[in-house]
Amino acid sequence: MSDPKHVAPTLPAAIRQLAALAESTRRASHARREGLQSAPAKPVRETGHGSEVTDVAGLTGLNEVAERGFVFVRPDGTERSCSFAELAYQAERRAANLHACGLKKGDRLAIVVPDPDEFVLSFLGAVMGGIVPVPIFPQLSFKNVDSYHETVTHIANASGSKMLLTTEATRPYVQPVLARVESMTRIATVDELNLQDNGIVDVVIEPEDTAFLQFTSGSTSKPKGVVVTHRNLAWNSESFMIHGLEKDSSFDKGVSWLPLFHDMGLIGFVIGPLFTNIPVVFLPTASFVRNPRIWLDKIHQHRGTITYAPNFAYSLVTKRVKEKDVADLDLSCLRRAGCGAEPIQWKTLHEFADRLKTAKFDPRAFLPSYGMAESTLAISFVPAFSGVRADVVEKSGLEVGQAVPALEGLRLVNCGRTFPEHEIAVVDENGNRLADRKVGQVLARGPSIASGYYQEPELTAEAFKAGPDGHTWLYTGDLGYLVDGDIFICGRLKDMIIVRGRNFYPSDIEWVVSDLPGIRRGNVVAFSADVAGEEQLVITAEGLSGEAEALKAAVAVRVVAEFALAVHEVVIVPQGTLPRTSSGKPQRRKTRQMYLEGTLVRARSVQGPEDPVEEPVLSA
Amino acid sequence: MDRFELLQLFQRTASEIAEKEIRNVAETTSIGELGIDSLGMLEVIGSLERELKIQIPDESLAGILTVKDLLNAVLSRQTV
Repeated sequence: MSDPKHVAPTLPAAIRQLAALAESTRRASHARREGLQSAPAKPVRETGHGSEVTDVAGLTGLNEVAERGFVFVRPDGTERSCSFAELAYQAERRAANLHACGLKKGDRLAIVVPDPDEFVLSFLGAVMGGIVPVPIFPQLSFKNVDSYHETVTHIANASGSKMLLTTEATRPYVQPVLARVESMTRIATVDELNLQDNGIVDVVIEPEDTAFLQFTSGSTSKPKGVVVTHRNLAWNSESFMIHGLEKDSSFDKGVSWLPLFHDMGLIGFVIGPLFTNIPVVFLPTASFVRNPRIWLDKIHQHRGTITYAPNFAYSLVTKRVKEKDVADLDLSCLRRAGCGAEPIQWKTLHEFADRLKTAKFDPRAFLPSYGMAESTLAISFVPAFSGVRADVVEKSGLEVGQAVPALEGLRLVNCGRTFPEHEIAVVDENGNRLADRKVGQVLARGPSIASGYYQEPELTAEAFKAGPDGHTWLYTGDLGYLVDGDIFICGRLKDMIIVRGRNFYPSDIEWVVSDLPGIRRGNVVAFSADVAGEEQLVITAEGLSGEAEALKAAVAVRVVAEFALAVHEVVIVPQGTLPRTSSGKPQRRKTRQMYLEGTLVRARSVQGPEDPVEEPVLSA
Repeated sequence: MDRFELLQLFQRTASEIAEKEIRNVAETTSIGELGIDSLGMLEVIGSLERELKIQIPDESLAGILTVKDLLNAVLSRQTV
């Protein structure tokens, strides 16, 4: 496999290129300034802010190039700037410090560092030294720490991590893991390592070397580590930054609050921009969730041009940000507003655009896309500046696997096409290519596709296997269809409800039931269960108010009316009792499992939490 | 603002954000019992922070398991 054409072959090479560019620009700026001021009144600062000099020779422009880099906004609103030159220097130092801890090229290093700046520098330090970082999310979920310890222990064991890097503040939350992971010899903090000075190490990094392990959580299985090589990173960065976002390094700037221990935040806003010389402003994820407006404020303030978020975040903005709050914002600078990582709702993006019309948000900036950790990050993008385009298809056609265009029906968002040197296919159960508008499993191949899951040969063989034309393909587990090379995603293969040969996507049924009065919006789960040898539809929903029997009847009537589908059973459960994912969505497979085990809490009538509670009690 | 008022404010805010009525909240109620996911809880905290003009550092959020922990975290930040 060849190297990509427009970016460096490895991440360390990309970082060194940025540092070299900054250095040569700094010299040019310095030299030009010396020439301009034959006798400077005060010594010219090494890093040279040229603001006091009249910019006759384009000095400001040169300084901007020398100073460009990442800006980290802290929770208290203060900012830490880290130029690409500084970042390269820090990463080189940290690489040497990690080697001094006894880590060698290829060793795995678990990283649990909640502060974005320290996380990025630690991650890049490991990568510079050829050490394989394993990012793990920090504990921040109002939950018992036991399940967190279990997850960290699992990831550290599965990756065979030798050391865990954390911060002083986070150390207590990860310390118990040390005794439970055989391969792990030490937990170190960023602060204690930063005190050291071990110079720099010279480690040769090849494109086929593993860059890092990206752990992804399936909703059924324990997290598994996708092996991402430098070649994968280089190819995918070129694909989404250059072919997808059509980046322009002369003015583009990213703004992101995405968590950095997930592919979208880490590859989308740290690694991709480093390969392609794009400055980025990072905000803490928690700051965005606490106050979604801060995302818009920072785009406005920093004149951000590129941002990205899953569907729910656009919806959160529409819910929490009032039109009057954004009247003084100017978001006309934003030319790429990516959307991915979860099903994209046409309605959500339109409501967002409406709310931000007065802030000059251009809806053509919307960039629906499709991807997953197994493909490094991105698989497909719509053409830049084409906005949200939806395909309206017959509901009845989708039931039999056909996407038939209709005037009214289901609205599916176009997720665009794949990148040069990559291919996408839709196949039937036997792995044969399907014609346009026929629904089947989505497959992807190309230089961005990872080689597999770390030390999981069986799981790897299931997902990465032979497909059309004898090539190895990634079986995404998603169902979708193609139209002239554009991909539309319908749902997850494993969640598909098949009743008497008709196919239903749970999300369609859940959406309709959610709309009923007395049902808590978004807290509905539809699945199929085997009843006497036949697949039957079961719906569970959290009730808001009313008698359970009446709600059950209303749900059944509505589903029959909408889908001509009989419901085997409707289960009304009390508020807050459906199992949820870490992002707050009800877990379909877990709910199904609880239903089959008989452990779902069934409500008779619903009036909020029914548990008797201790004093002091408030009544609203 | 005293503990009782704060508990009332919390109940009101949580109900608004969860878009459902949350009643009978006691100090011993665990956050998990409220039927609000972790993102929702962060939203609630953000709203309390704005209302009370305080800031709760991220580090202290990890230790919050019950309504009592939350009240303590807020009250320890309040100067008035």
